[in-house]
Amino acid sequence: MDAWQIVYVPDKPPIPPDQQSTVDVIATVIEPRLANTLVRRLNQIVPLENLRHVKRLRWRMAYLAGKTLLCLILCLASEHGDQFDSIPHEVQELISPHKLSTFVTKVCKYAATSKEEWEEQCKLWPTSFHPPTYSIDGITGFSEEDSRSVFSFMNSAIQLAKSGGGSVVNAAVIVDPSAKIVIATARDQIYSWHAPKDEAILETSCSERPFASHIDSNGVMSCETPGGFPDDSKQLYDDVSCLYPWRWAEQKTDMSSCCWHPLRHAAIVAIESSASRDRRLYPSSGDIQDKLVDMNSAHSSSTGSPAKRQKTNLTDVKSDWKLETCCEGSHSLAARPYLCTGYDIFLVWEPCAMCAMALVHQRIRRIFFAFPNPNAGAVGSVYRLQGEKSLNHHYAVFRVLVPAQVLDGAETCHGQPTSTVVDNYGI
Amino acid sequence: MASPKEDCSSITLAFMDLAIQQAKLALDSLEVPVGCVIVEDGEVIASGRNRTNETRNATRHAEMEAIDTVLEKWQKKGLSKSETAENFSKCSLFVTCEPCIMCASALSILGIKEVFYGCANDKFGGCGSILSFHSSNSNPVTSGGLPQGKDFKCSGGIMASEAISLFRSFYEQGNPNAPKPHRPLILPETQ
Repeated sequence: MDAWQIVYVPDKPPIPPDQQSTVDVIATVIEPRLANTLVRRLNQIVPLENLRHVKRLRWRMAYLAGKTLLCLILCLASEHGDQFDSIPHEVQELISPHKLSTFVTKVCKYAATSKEEWEEQCKLWPTSFHPPTYSIDGITGFSEEDSRSVFSFMNSAIQLAKSGGGSVVNAAVIVDPSAKIVIATARDQIYSWHAPKDEAILETSCSERPFASHIDSNGVMSCETPGGFPDDSKQLYDDVSCLYPWRWAEQKTDMSSCCWHPLRHAAIVAIESSASRDRRLYPSSGDIQDKLVDMNSAHSSSTGSPAKRQKTNLTDVKSDWKLETCCEGSHSLAARPYLCTGYDIFLVWEPCAMCAMALVHQRIRRIFFAFPNPNAGAVGSVYRLQGEKSLNHHYAVFRVLVPAQVLDGAETCHGQPTSTVVDNYGI
Repeated sequence: MASPKEDCSSITLAFMDLAIQQAKLALDSLEVPVGCVIVEDGEVIASGRNRTNETRNATRHAEMEAIDTVLEKWQKKGLSKSETAENFSKCSLFVTCEPCIMCASALSILGIKEVFYGCANDKFGGCGSILSFHSSNSNPVTSGGLPQGKDFKCSGGIMASEAISLFRSFYEQGNPNAPKPHRPLILPETQ
């Protein structure tokens, strides 16, 4: 791979346009003057309920005695047995006065999801096509600026993945794309995790913006940690938790780390870190706030300088806000975000089912990943959670193709967006 | 996979009742009322309840809370990874609502022995309702000999009406943390 590319991973596995499912219908040839009456009546007695995209009428290809004729779908053909005996009585009554002869033909079973599918469908029998209207940015393409930002964040995730000195693990970077700021970063922590003793330590140990110093005046992160990224084809990446989530028990316990946790995959840790940031930046929220205030006042009175303490806390929060406001656009700080609504996550590897569902729960808007996860991936490889209709939230998923030289660490991240591909790419 | 109510032994009901108690604690804290207990050798070794609102972390489901407690407990005892895995394979989970896709997947990663749940989870269920992590047969892609998540036994419908009535109370009082506007939630039907 020589160039950065963003590829949309659709909700449904892509089907080659010429291999769409079809169903048999019973049709007849009529004169145009009969069309109106027959269609109206047929729509009453045998509506094409699950075939709303299929047009009931089509022009007949040939002319007969100088007259234009139409083909009309009467009803669905039965799946077995004699097709013509299965025609409902009411339809028979409708066609017999006109001495219509019937035939079986095929139509596409599902509405087209792309122009290519639709063109192919119409070769069989005309259908209608409503191009999908997407509400999530990027599905219909990325601007050059947005692409650059995507490549930059993906590069920082890759650098984070190999920053451990030893083995490469999965890494996650949660980003607020409207302000181009990093909300949380994390590496897999299944083999070594220094457990926080209490909440306070947890707060400080979560590095909130490790890349903050690298954000340039345009708000775009720069990355400058070239290091060898082993050749994709030669290594198994055994330590990437989402690739082999069930292998945790086979690993030797690392005595140097005080804790290990089979479920602390990068995405889970990043979610935890963003939640902790949320609690720190927006402590005022109903019930929880009251408790915190109670605790603060109790604590303050015992230390004897409540006013000072409160002031310091306030300044801390304010400066934090300022830091963010300076790189922000339209984003309003007054309203605290609901979970990760509007945020993107950059993952080096496609998330497993646990992580992918965690990202549904936390309301992530878009997932970008660099490498597919053929054995356990849940956003296209094994499962496709973005297409599970019953879920209460759906993110858009993109695969980012990364140039080889970035993986080798020979070049820094400022790749030029050579192309943005948005098609029915399947993993 | 759901076994009928009358098959439940009194011990199963007793553990599920403890899970219900946990769910009630969640309700009292204005959390979505789901609770669970993890049982090893007939003894409760951990309990958990939803803490998603309090933590603002929507992954802090009852199961995740209880799993963390168990892992911490065993690590304090100095158990190795393989001993931990072996212990999980002897544990049963009693949870008031069918584990979601995330939790079911986590339970399969850990290799838990058995899951008993109350009501089904028609929107997110990972033990048969939407996806099936308890049974690898239903995995859409064959593993090709690679190690996959472990299967676990799964029985649903245990004290389901109690679990559902807790959900009803919760949504009647309104989820304080839900994004506005509040959308009426359709409760799962009693099985």
